[in-house]
Amino acid sequence: MTAQLCYDDVELGDEIQPLVVTVDQTQMFFFSAATYNGHRIHYEKDWATTVEGYDDVLVQGPLQSALLARAITDWIGGRGRLVRYSVQNRAVAYPGEVLTFGGVVTAKRLEAGVGLVDLEIAGRRGEDVLMPGTATVALPRQPALARGEVDQRDGAS
Amino acid sequence: MTDDSLIDAESAARVGTVAARATGEVHRLQWQRWAAAVGDHNPLWFDADYARVNGYDDVICPPLFLQYVILGVTSLDELRPDGSSGAVSGGLAFPRAPRRMAGGESTTFHLPAYHRDEVEMVRTISSIVEKEGRSGRFVLVTWHTTYRNQRSELVAEATTSMIARP
Repeated sequence: MTAQLCYDDVELGDEIQPLVVTVDQTQMFFFSAATYNGHRIHYEKDWATTVEGYDDVLVQGPLQSALLARAITDWIGGRGRLVRYSVQNRAVAYPGEVLTFGGVVTAKRLEAGVGLVDLEIAGRRGEDVLMPGTATVALPRQPALARGEVDQRDGAS
Repeated sequence: MTDDSLIDAESAARVGTVAARATGEVHRLQWQRWAAAVGDHNPLWFDADYARVNGYDDVICPPLFLQYVILGVTSLDELRPDGSSGAVSGGLAFPRAPRRMAGGESTTFHLPAYHRDEVEMVRTISSIVEKEGRSGRFVLVTWHTTYRNQRSELVAEATTSMIARP
């Protein structure tokens, strides 16, 4: 287990450790099963190409979204909290493609003593952004700094 | 709305109304199967001791799994031709735009959900608009969804969209 990421450690422009995944049809099958998703476009190539006009079956948008969220929750650790998560499906992905999920810190602020960090996030295939989005996470303060704040409040009262 | 609109009058009339209401139980095994399918082995979803050390009462439901706990049961003979159940779109069907894709989602998470929590989802249709995209016309449907637990606490709220194309 790596050390807990703290609000005070994060700087604008910091990047999330990217998550690189090549989704295959086995993973797609399990994801459809786990989400009760019967849409043929994810498992019936004839349907996906003939009826819906794609080149192959499609990686589920919610799977891309879940992978992008995984990159964030891996980065923020056990004491971090995903507060807001927003993504758009901009382009489709096919099984066998190398996808990269990551993000960059765009803002940070303290609200009622809680350290909030805004991220610009994306799922990409090479240079193509398939799934852009934004997220906000809450991160713990460094213990010494958190104590310092308590001391200041005590001193002021 | 013109005669060649992709949006039929029946669907248009449902803007502002509750599209779907559903309840379900949060279940550890279900969210762990989902997490494994995502390759997400975060110990908060799997290891109660780890979760407790990090301030929770027990393992927690991954935030993005919450949307699935309320999914109902669909008979095979009630599926749409494309195999989907229609549950996610609240029964909306666009005869002139039958191909559908998830558009996007924006969710705010307020509280953790635990094993055996009872969640009620209420989904309201916010808007139905026709748009012109790179690959032609499509319908963009937007919903607002709340998820409350058995204590009526707001666990999460989401704005979700779907794209329907001819």
